[in-house]
Amino acid sequence: MRIHTYEKLWLVASMVLIVGFIATVTYGSVGLGITMIGDDESTIAPDDIGDDDQFGEPRVEQVGEDEYEAYVIAQTWTFQPDPIEVPAGSKVTFYVTSPDVVHGFAVPGTNINAMVIPGETAQLSVEFDEPGEYGIICNEYCGAGHHDMEGELIVQPEDEFDLTELTVEALESVEPGADVELTVTIENGELDPLETTVDTEISNETIQQDITVEGDSTENISITIDSEDLGEGDHDWTVSVDGYEETGTVTVEPPGTDGNETDADGDGDDSADTKTNETTGGGGT
Amino acid sequence: MTALFVDEYPAQARLVRAAFLTAFTAFGVGALFGLIQALHRTDVFRFLESETYYTVLTGHGVFLVITFAIFFLVGLYQWAVTVSLERGPVDMRISWTWYGLMSIGTLLVAISILAGFLDDPPTVLGSELSADVLFTFYAPLQAHPLFYAGLATFFIGIWLAGADWFRTWWVWKGNHPDERIPLPTFMVLMTMIMWYVGSIGVVVAIVVFLLPWSLEIIESVNPLLTRTLFWYFGHMVVYFWVLPAYLLWYNVLPKVSGGRLFSDPLARVVFILFVLLSTPVGIHHQYLDPGIAEGFKFIAMTNTMFLLLPSLLTAFTVVASMEHGARQLGGKGTFGWLRALPWRNPAFTGMALAGAVFAFGGFTGIVNAGMNINYLVHNSLWVSGHIHTQVGTASALTFMAGTYWLIPQLTGNQLISRRLGLIQVVLWFIGIVFMTNSMYRAGLFGVPRRTAEPQYGFEYDVGVGSMAELDAQIALGGTLLFISAMLFLGLLLLTVFNTDSEPIVDGSIPPALSGPEDSPRVLDNLRLWTAIALVLVALAYTLPLAAIVSRGGLLGPDVNPFPVVIDGLKILQYVLPSIEVVPI
Ligand code: HEM
Ligand SMILES: [Cu+2]
Ligand SMILES: [Cu+2]
Repeated sequence: MRIHTYEKLWLVASMVLIVGFIATVTYGSVGLGITMIGDDESTIAPDDIGDDDQFGEPRVEQVGEDEYEAYVIAQTWTFQPDPIEVPAGSKVTFYVTSPDVVHGFAVPGTNINAMVIPGETAQLSVEFDEPGEYGIICNEYCGAGHHDMEGELIVQPEDEFDLTELTVEALESVEPGADVELTVTIENGELDPLETTVDTEISNETIQQDITVEGDSTENISITIDSEDLGEGDHDWTVSVDGYEETGTVTVEPPGTDGNETDADGDGDDSADTKTNETTGGGGT
Repeated sequence: MTALFVDEYPAQARLVRAAFLTAFTAFGVGALFGLIQALHRTDVFRFLESETYYTVLTGHGVFLVITFAIFFLVGLYQWAVTVSLERGPVDMRISWTWYGLMSIGTLLVAISILAGFLDDPPTVLGSELSADVLFTFYAPLQAHPLFYAGLATFFIGIWLAGADWFRTWWVWKGNHPDERIPLPTFMVLMTMIMWYVGSIGVVVAIVVFLLPWSLEIIESVNPLLTRTLFWYFGHMVVYFWVLPAYLLWYNVLPKVSGGRLFSDPLARVVFILFVLLSTPVGIHHQYLDPGIAEGFKFIAMTNTMFLLLPSLLTAFTVVASMEHGARQLGGKGTFGWLRALPWRNPAFTGMALAGAVFAFGGFTGIVNAGMNINYLVHNSLWVSGHIHTQVGTASALTFMAGTYWLIPQLTGNQLISRRLGLIQVVLWFIGIVFMTNSMYRAGLFGVPRRTAEPQYGFEYDVGVGSMAELDAQIALGGTLLFISAMLFLGLLLLTVFNTDSEPIVDGSIPPALSGPEDSPRVLDNLRLWTAIALVLVALAYTLPLAAIVSRGGLLGPDVNPFPVVIDGLKILQYVLPSIEVVPI
């Protein structure tokens, strides 16, 4: 075949260029460690996501020192959890799946970008050096409300971040003479033990109690106050731990009221007059 | 000067005209939809609900890259086969059959898409008519069965068209046993081999999975499988859009530049490379998909980079042919010859500008192909920028420029105004520069594609310039493009009715400087190239497909259909149960 000299030169230059591009991309993968989303995660039936160990409760979890995992559900037309909060100076691995259609999981201004395909879980690891706030958007068309699908990613300063969860359970009313009992549950999602103080205020009384919650576990304490000390009427209470705060009101019934409503129900279901308060996340400052 | 095509082959000219008419009708509607999108996204002018945006966007994608590009292709290829073999098809009834199948398919698809504009779409075959699934129709988004049936009919029509050209060539070969395949026909046949190899994927996705699923014959599909089958076809199809432009650049552009093609053998090599490489790269559209191993993505990446070769070779041959032409016209100097080119001829200028835009867009394509850089641009407006420099200009502008050259030969009428034609192609160029440079830049800042309202609760971190400036450029560029498109259609219409005129176009194509006799005969061995192409496809796709099926099953892990009807109640039905499952 007759090929012009210039043409031959061009051909050689083209091949050099092509090999150069392949080398550059390979260097990106091998040298810089930019890995591609792969097939490490097993498939998951979209209908079973609710019962799944990991996606049943979309959340951020600590798995090592400065290492976190975020289980995220993208579905028409929200992301859960929202916001996603992680500490600066950490490596976060996102696991994202969808119970319905194909979505995207992208954070503009970063190279976080993945397709979310029902049945599959996208896994990608990201290092966050600096605190900051980002938007999360769905960048694959997913139906009529696609443009409304948006979430938030908050990278908190390391010392402000925690995975503490405070829940307080209390009756809304008690008989005169009975005890007012606040059940305080503290969940520590981090791996290090959490040493802290539970501050309870009710009427003018203040109760302080030290508590240690081991890493990745939950502790309960009960705070009991004699209703005689409080007297008849409504009493506001506040429980605070590490900047998280729960409040509520308990009513001490006037004498002669016939017992508490829980017993009156007779079915042991005291949901009608028990109140559960809960706060989570890193808002504790 | 040879006889006019319309005089020599009146029956074929009628078919080509019919194909062009369908193509340009779709082009007009698609351009209008493009304008609506450009104004809506940027919030310059919104008159539709944002939900309806996706009906518009589905129409824009389908009407332009399926209807317009492919109807133009079949028209052009019918012309190319006829002139280069100097004969018509064996049986024109077969030819009209494929045209008919393609048209019926298009009609079904168009009806199902356009029903999305109705407040209360009619119920057909037991389900509401709608197809807001965009031109990629990723399951579990579900369109009406008519949409899938229409697409399947359309694809069968294209298969038949290819068979028709092969048959014409086969008969010609019987009469010319020792001759090389004329270059235009060689290009047509190679394009169609590429199409047969690459369209299997999408046809299987539609006929085996999506159509039965939309008819409730099967309950679910594996979204990753149908998606992968789509992209098995999805990169090949971009070459299906571009190769008709290549055919014009290799055959018509040298001629309108005043010269001859530089090298016929290299042109053949280029088309062979496309047959071999355009399908086993499709996974590069799935770099960010879960469920596909990194290794397969790497293979797709290397194949993609080698696919640069035919385009780089084309750049050389086309520029060399233009230089040759310019020197024939008296051009001198290292770059001075550029001035001697026939810049006043819209056919030339349109193709030359299209080629320049294509070269630029090609480099942006390398960014897309660079696996790890893809994180930055995937599904961002950068991709829309890329689409419009490539198929939206390299192909579309070349088709328009080529039409200026072809239309007198197809109608026997003189082009109504060369000057307006020149203004039209330059206007398109200016419009595309405004629209795509801003799309590329916005994409780099993370602005997504395919969305009615890319304005969110956060601010994009725009480096140089501002969002408002980028939006203004997109809106302005889109408007110029729309005006240019309408000008083109107007010129075409007037030319068709310009019956009392003498066309002044010489339709003959001069032989190449280095002809087919300079190349080995093996280049024309179609069986060999088909076989190698199939082997490469098998190597690239057997394992990924097997892995996907063994992971998720043929019908997927219980994925529910999600019909895209814009109906609040229906949507709630899907949202509510999931809220129960996942307490917030
Ligand atoms: C009047 C000229 C045109 C204008 C104003 C225009 C405008 C647009 C805009 C703004 C988008 C982005 C929509 C979004 O992602 O939200 C878009 C997408 C697109 N355009 Fe155009 N366009 C024009 C012509 C063309 C032509 C000639 C072609 C191809 C032949 C084309 C093919 C496409 C494709 C394939 C998409 C992507 C559709 C999708 O994401 O599903 N456009 N166009
Ligand atoms: Cu979406
Ligand atoms: Cu591609």
